[in-house]
Amino acid sequence: MSDGRIVVDGLTKVYKTVRAVDGLSFVVEGGRVTGFLGPNGAGKTTTLRMLLNLVTPTAGTATIDGVRYADLHDPIRHVGGILEASAAHRGRTGRNHLRIICRAAGIPMSRADEVLELVGLTPAADRKFKGYSLGMRQRLGIAAALIGEPRVLVLDEPANGLDPEGIRWMRDLLKAYAGDGRTVLVSSHLLSEMEILADDLVIIAAGQLVTQGSVAEVVDSIATTGRTTVRTPDPAKLTAALGEGAHVTAGANGDLVVTGMDAATIGDAALAAGVAVHQLVTERPDLEEVFLELTKGKAAIR
Amino acid sequence: MTATQVAVPARRGHTPGRLIAAEIMKIRTTNTWWLLTLGIVLFTALALTVNGFGHHFELYPPLDQVGEANRQDAVTQAAIAHSAAGLRGIAADMLTSGQFFGCLLAMLIGILVITNEYFHQTATATFMTNPHRTAVIMAKLVAAATFGALFWVVSTIMNVVTTPIYLHTQHVDVSLTQWPVVRSVLLNLLAFVMWAVFGLGLGTLIRSQIGSVVTGMVVYLIGLAAVTIIFHLIYNAYPHSWVLAAQVISPAVASQVMINPGRAFDHAPPQWVGLLVMIGYTVVFGGLGVWLTRRRDIS
Repeated sequence: MSDGRIVVDGLTKVYKTVRAVDGLSFVVEGGRVTGFLGPNGAGKTTTLRMLLNLVTPTAGTATIDGVRYADLHDPIRHVGGILEASAAHRGRTGRNHLRIICRAAGIPMSRADEVLELVGLTPAADRKFKGYSLGMRQRLGIAAALIGEPRVLVLDEPANGLDPEGIRWMRDLLKAYAGDGRTVLVSSHLLSEMEILADDLVIIAAGQLVTQGSVAEVVDSIATTGRTTVRTPDPAKLTAALGEGAHVTAGANGDLVVTGMDAATIGDAALAAGVAVHQLVTERPDLEEVFLELTKGKAAIR
Repeated sequence: MTATQVAVPARRGHTPGRLIAAEIMKIRTTNTWWLLTLGIVLFTALALTVNGFGHHFELYPPLDQVGEANRQDAVTQAAIAHSAAGLRGIAADMLTSGQFFGCLLAMLIGILVITNEYFHQTATATFMTNPHRTAVIMAKLVAAATFGALFWVVSTIMNVVTTPIYLHTQHVDVSLTQWPVVRSVLLNLLAFVMWAVFGLGLGTLIRSQIGSVVTGMVVYLIGLAAVTIIFHLIYNAYPHSWVLAAQVISPAVASQVMINPGRAFDHAPPQWVGLLVMIGYTVVFGGLGVWLTRRRDIS
């Protein structure tokens, strides 16, 4: 098996007073970008660190292709991880930072130059890390993650510190990676970014799974709470026709805003009552609304 | 397992060798190593100067400046210094010049090898590249010991070049290749290596770079004085020679005892006791470092 599938099963991490991650289970498939979302303190970073064998779980397992990270042979040839923006010795050059990783993993040193080129850091390769901007540091982190040509990429808040151009560059890179059939798991609190980037979503709050599925599925799962705007020449008659099931309020321009009833039912009711309908618009909630709805009340500081 | 997608050529070298090479590269690619080496050169030069003057006055006490009462003592001291054992001691002392601060710097490199990973947040990358933490710590241990040994090489080259010239100027004739002298020089190597390993263990124990450097300095510098004072106070209340000998439990005292072919101080235990104490500290701190690193979370 080498489909790069990540399986998190009953993963739990208990610190002295908090259950940072609490019986978390989800699956990440290859060939897709999976957004790992949650409010600050939801346990995203702890989960990713357990996946990469940096933090020991209190209970549960996290595997990649059915194998724990610690049991992978030469793990960076399978999994590339970016966990901290500023993770190199300040007095060391970017090139040497990457060469050390090559050396430790038994990869030819020339690979360091290749990944530098890939992330566009070649001109700064021999500059010391302390002179790098936040965006350059992030690019160096991505370069380090790509050294082993991994089948799985795990990124913790990679967009932090990147300028808009950098974000776009990274988005294209990750999409291309997933397009090659590789697995990309990327945590973020930037919902707008995930809406553009991710195919699947795993949403957690307070260390527990809230929902998981494709972006469309997740949005649809609460689309029933969406609103429908209706424009009609006879609002009073239509309101009466909708009956008890609908909650109707006045919108702008004399429109009606209906909740608690989907657009088809509203249309049918209007037809049955003989009320003309000039416009019938369902406002689908965007990811941000869904996210806020799903994690409501769980973002409290624990 | 995945093998098809990897365009990177097959792995090179066996894991321990790769890890040690990577750890040595980490030291080589920052300023630390040459700053510390510069420190070794300066401290060795200083120690040679101080030791040279000290032994000169030991061999040739300025009798006209010594009071009438002490003259006989001074003459006796000089005679002892000129004896075969005395000259042997002087030769060994000159050839191990710079040990005191050299071992301090060896300890520092041991501390830095591990605390740099936490200070610069590179522990994540290091343990992701190789999740077998014992192997990583052992590689660090070898790298620190290697640099400890290199410091000894630098210091010893300076001593070997200078000491024969110095002894010639003092008009004394002593073989530098006699075993007790050579043994001291070799045990000095062991001291450098052990302090480097001791530093590594300390660094894993106290991951804060400043915290472990300060603690190491205190143990090394103030610890020596404090132990001397405390044991002399105990000795005054309870005058048995073994009380003074027991000072060897301090690592700084133990390494002095270890390299000194004579007695490092009155009632000092023999060299092998110092050696055993140093080995004990090395094993305990090295083992503690491995154990702690295995069970701790990297965050």
